[in-house]
Amino acid sequence: MGRLKQKGKAGAAKTYITRSSAVKKLQCSLADFRRLCILKGIFPREPRHKKRANKGSTAPTSFYYAKDIAYLAHEPVLNKLREHKAFAKKISRALGRGEWSTAKNLEDNKPVYRLDHIIKERYPSFIDAVRDIDDALCMIHLFASLPSNPRVSPALIENCVRLTAEWQLYVMHTRSLRNVFLSIKGVYYQAEIMDQNVTWLVPYQFPQNIPSDVDVRVMLTFLELYQTLLGFVFFKLYTDAGLVYPPPLDSGRDESGAGVGAFNLRPVNPAATGGPTSDTPKVSSKEVRQTIKSITAESSSVPPNDVDIDRTDSFHDAAEEEFVPQASKSDLDVPSSLPTLLSLSSLPKLSSTNIFAPYTFWLSRESSRSIFEFLIRSFGGRIGWPVSSGGGSPFTEDDEAITHVIIDRPTAKGDTAQEQERRRRRKYVQPQWVVDCINAGKILLEDLYAQGKTLPPHLSPFGERDGAYDPTIGLANVENSLIEVDDAELSEDSQEVEDVEMGSELEGDVKSMAALAVATADDPEALRAAELAAEAAGVDFGTFEKEVQKKQKQQKHKGDAVVNGGGEEDMNKILMSKRKRQLYERMKYGEKKRAAEHAKLEEKRTKIEKDRRRKARAS
Amino acid sequence: MAVTGLGKVRNKRKQEEVEEVEKGPFAGVVDLEMHSEDEAEDEDREGDDASDDGDVDEFPEIDAASDSDEESDEEEEEEEEEEEEEEDDADDLDEEDTLDENSDADSDLHIFPKSKKVVSNITGQTKVVYPEIEPDYDSDSSTEDDPNRVGNIPMHWYDDLPHLGYNINGKRVLRPAKGDELDRFLQTVEDPNSWTTAFDKNTQMDKPLSAEELDIIRRLQAGENPDAEYDPYEPTIEWFTGKGKEEVMPLSSAPEPKRRWLPSKWEKQKIMKIVRAIRQGRIVGSKPSAADKKQQFYAIWNEPPSNQPPPLPAPKPKLPTNSESYNPPEEYLPTEEERKQWENTDPEDRERDYLPHNYSALRLVPAYDQFIKQRFNRQLDLYLAPRIQRVKLNVDPNSLLPKLPSPNSLRPFPNYKSLQFMHTKARVRCLSISPDGAWVASGDESGVISLWEVNVGREVKRWNLGSKVGAIEWCPRLDACFLVAGTEERLHFFIPPNISPAMLTTTQSILAPATLPPTTQSSIKWISTSGAAEDGPILTIELPSASGLSRQLTWHRKGDYLASVSSSETQGSVWMHQISRRHSQAPFKKIKGAVQMVLFHPTKPHFFVATQRYVRLYNLAEQKLLKTLMPGIKWISSMDVHPSGDHIIVGGYDRKLCWFDLELSEKPYKVLRYHSRAIRSLHFHPTYPLFASSSDDGSIQIFHARVYSDLMTDPLIVPLKILRGHDVQEGLGVLQIKWVNKQPWLVSAGADGSVSMWCS
Repeated sequence: MGRLKQKGKAGAAKTYITRSSAVKKLQCSLADFRRLCILKGIFPREPRHKKRANKGSTAPTSFYYAKDIAYLAHEPVLNKLREHKAFAKKISRALGRGEWSTAKNLEDNKPVYRLDHIIKERYPSFIDAVRDIDDALCMIHLFASLPSNPRVSPALIENCVRLTAEWQLYVMHTRSLRNVFLSIKGVYYQAEIMDQNVTWLVPYQFPQNIPSDVDVRVMLTFLELYQTLLGFVFFKLYTDAGLVYPPPLDSGRDESGAGVGAFNLRPVNPAATGGPTSDTPKVSSKEVRQTIKSITAESSSVPPNDVDIDRTDSFHDAAEEEFVPQASKSDLDVPSSLPTLLSLSSLPKLSSTNIFAPYTFWLSRESSRSIFEFLIRSFGGRIGWPVSSGGGSPFTEDDEAITHVIIDRPTAKGDTAQEQERRRRRKYVQPQWVVDCINAGKILLEDLYAQGKTLPPHLSPFGERDGAYDPTIGLANVENSLIEVDDAELSEDSQEVEDVEMGSELEGDVKSMAALAVATADDPEALRAAELAAEAAGVDFGTFEKEVQKKQKQQKHKGDAVVNGGGEEDMNKILMSKRKRQLYERMKYGEKKRAAEHAKLEEKRTKIEKDRRRKARAS
Repeated sequence: MAVTGLGKVRNKRKQEEVEEVEKGPFAGVVDLEMHSEDEAEDEDREGDDASDDGDVDEFPEIDAASDSDEESDEEEEEEEEEEEEEEDDADDLDEEDTLDENSDADSDLHIFPKSKKVVSNITGQTKVVYPEIEPDYDSDSSTEDDPNRVGNIPMHWYDDLPHLGYNINGKRVLRPAKGDELDRFLQTVEDPNSWTTAFDKNTQMDKPLSAEELDIIRRLQAGENPDAEYDPYEPTIEWFTGKGKEEVMPLSSAPEPKRRWLPSKWEKQKIMKIVRAIRQGRIVGSKPSAADKKQQFYAIWNEPPSNQPPPLPAPKPKLPTNSESYNPPEEYLPTEEERKQWENTDPEDRERDYLPHNYSALRLVPAYDQFIKQRFNRQLDLYLAPRIQRVKLNVDPNSLLPKLPSPNSLRPFPNYKSLQFMHTKARVRCLSISPDGAWVASGDESGVISLWEVNVGREVKRWNLGSKVGAIEWCPRLDACFLVAGTEERLHFFIPPNISPAMLTTTQSILAPATLPPTTQSSIKWISTSGAAEDGPILTIELPSASGLSRQLTWHRKGDYLASVSSSETQGSVWMHQISRRHSQAPFKKIKGAVQMVLFHPTKPHFFVATQRYVRLYNLAEQKLLKTLMPGIKWISSMDVHPSGDHIIVGGYDRKLCWFDLELSEKPYKVLRYHSRAIRSLHFHPTYPLFASSSDDGSIQIFHARVYSDLMTDPLIVPLKILRGHDVQEGLGVLQIKWVNKQPWLVSAGADGSVSMWCS
């Protein structure tokens, strides 16, 4: 006989630990425990048997892995938090006694924790970190747009703004933006970094206040972690791209509201700066020809001379912006001549990442500069903006090179001669055009998006779930059904006429004959015979055909009903085990729900289309 | 208060005067030595006084030549006059002067006598001179002015009294008349100077404050010295320093100590100690705090990662779909009722956390008010929500269904209702089908038993028993033909009409033999009526009283034994009746639980008894318990044995159906739950591989049940058809079902009073 097993010494009772006992074990406050969990990425677990895990109690508690808590107990940050507690006591005592110099001394030696080791632990390899920066980017962008308050210091917000600018610069520099989606919540961007899709959401530029039911402490703890994580990720990304991190900030330009433009990217090796000017012809020669061709095909209104100037101009600019690594060939001893991300990115890119390269945009003052500057520049275009949107615009509104104007106003009457001239030369498009072009990977026709026009719907580039309703391909079905509906209406009308003409007996004849034809199913012989009979009875071929079609449709519906109805298929689930049956029922439930959703959307669409047609017919 | 303040001022004044007087001779003594400079200084001081009035002069550089005439030009006229007067009679202060003074004081309403500044002829210093007081009758000019002569006593002594004190004659000084609050208020409104009046305790009246007093108040408010003439910035008078004033002789003759010019040895040692500590690194200078705060980034991923697998990344939020667009296709926009429904659901229950909305232009899109809240919720998910790794099943749900032969290949089975027989009065509890499969007898709760044909549904006979019919069972004998019906405490035997005479005679001989077998000891009476009575039962068995409705009857296959179950909970609910011996006995002396149903084994001398929870199998020959089956049903409602005798099915009120393989185990081989209400009846087809179950949900489920003779193959159960056609009344659906012998037809009795015939 083996040793007696004692209760609570093995299994779930040992594996799991409740939150309160974890806090007790770590000897810290609940707030500190939360902070640690956030920083270390430890989350509660759901034991399979709650009762066993909680020593017989079924009270609602959250459980953690006991090993996770043991891991937390060895965390240096925990020690720092304890030190901070002692520090807080000391400083409050010093302040209470009015010992200012002691307080200052203490404040200078305040314990500060670093998160470097946590970053390394949570993301052992760089790719892990890149995979997980979505939330971090969202948070950084959110805080960059928040006003400062006593809880959220201006320095913090400034740092967030800096990080967002660095990220945007990197994305623009590497041309890694893939998809953009203007949603009601904000703008979704998706970039491809190291073959990972990074998606982030940026709120529209409005001042927001933190609602009262949001715990700012939690958000700030997350932000602490995210700032460190992004710092390290950006450092790695920048150095891999051969750039200096952090990019130096031009404070003069920053104060004029240049935004992203206030930072200037600088290559790691200063010798490389001499390179780009000599490289320009190499880059452009082939592409210039190609794009000229496309431009001439596209529009004849723009004088070709202008375009040429414009083109070279834009390419010059592009080349300046990119620190093309050819320069490093001049000194081979430099280790950066190895194939880095930079050299890979300089390989001939997909044409879709350069779609705006031939164009120069002017952003009118009501469109958000932060969005469109980022979009246009990450797809190779040049963009200028009025002073009211911030400083640092590379050109003014009367620049000859401008090809497109992004404008979000209704059309106004009473243009001056100069404006009319401009309108002739430039294309005025609404902002959605830019986003739709990016998502389509090509330049779309501007006419649909012209100023003041009703825009075509803006669809998500991320796609829907498989089998969901697709508004683009759904058209064919809807068309068919619409035609059917129309036909039905028409045939009803015509039948009424026929009734008047021929009387009821003939009608009945036709119907019976058609029924006969359909009843004999797909047999062509029988159909032929029925046709002949109909002809003999003096029914013209058109009505007969329609009748047959109608009958066929009815039969099909009946068949569907037979297949679906009755629930005979479901009878087999009587013999399934309980678990399998539940799974099956869940799946069926989901399927049914999705189908219902799909059907509802389709139905709405047909209704809308029908209304539209009716209106068109009426007018 | 003001008055006491005044008093103080007056005192101070006097003190000053005394000091002045005392100072005078001393200054004069010192003056004797130094003439010119002192003069100049004096003039400076006067110049200062003058400059207080307005003009600012350079402070020290005033010509020594400047005399008092010059300064008097700058002063006001009054003072000028006074000055002149002073200069006139500076030597002696006579009466006229004092008179003048008095008149001056009267005109100015001065309480205290006006002082004068006079340059003494003796010392050449200025001094303040007060007028002499003439000790005659009129000398005190304030006699008339001050009516209160009570003296300087604490006035609160008289707070409660009508008078203020006593005058010099010992008469009471009465309190001056005081108006009420309204008067006082009116007075303050009317009198423009009321805000500069104060209450004088001595006179118990409001007195206007003089300009000096107001000035004193102003000074006190400003935190200045209340004395207007006090100059805090008087130039110091150098007595010992300066040219010509040096001390010639040293005060001490001690030699100067060494420490005055040698550096300290101990200080040096202390400093060296610190220097050494700094060199050895024991003392470290404070770090620059600004650099400390700044996070430094470096290539953290340059070292190879550890072998440990990375923690699982958090699941990413779902990507936005078309409906989240600022300009979605029109069909995504919610209708009015969808919007209302969305708004009425709780935020946690909503399928989507937003309502699709259409904006015609990007500039019109407002800020999303839930943005921060949603980010916060995401963070809560990240650190508070337990995560479970789920395997995502990407299978067709239909592939989960068990592979069963198609019902079409398992024909024949009943699938439509061919005819319906109605009991108009009450619900039909029971039915039975004759062994040859031609007749159906159905009994209802009003006591009517109808006999009708299976094929056409024509009723041929009707018996009315008058009390509820609980069970009907046709005798399985083929040479005889009769049926037995159980009612309250009685079992009635009936011979159907239109049977062959040979059969009739055998039946009559069985039920009512000419020679009765010897009677046995039993509490149960067998009563035979004469065979002639066609309308009544030919034989009646009277069960013991209070045994209740006989719920179930079952025949042994040979048709000699009949077992009946009564609804009473007492021990004597099960009876075994032997027709040939006309004898009844209770097989169980004692049985646990209420018996629900009993059955004879189709081949062996075994007997199944279903109590509320268990099914027991007894061997009747050996009289012992063979097996207890545990179906795990809370309350068994029905049971049936497969014709082979190796399998039984048990149904319960808790909707479960259990299939037992008697060879296999005491636990069910399969438990099925498919009815939505309690199972009421089960029946195996005697020849076809079919069985059916009926339930209170009004449906009948037909199964194909093939049992293999080899022990290795599991029985095959295939659901074939759900028959619906009975209405549910008062929670009761189909109460009994029976298969027709030799045909795949089913007859069902429902609580709606109908008996249906289901054909293939």
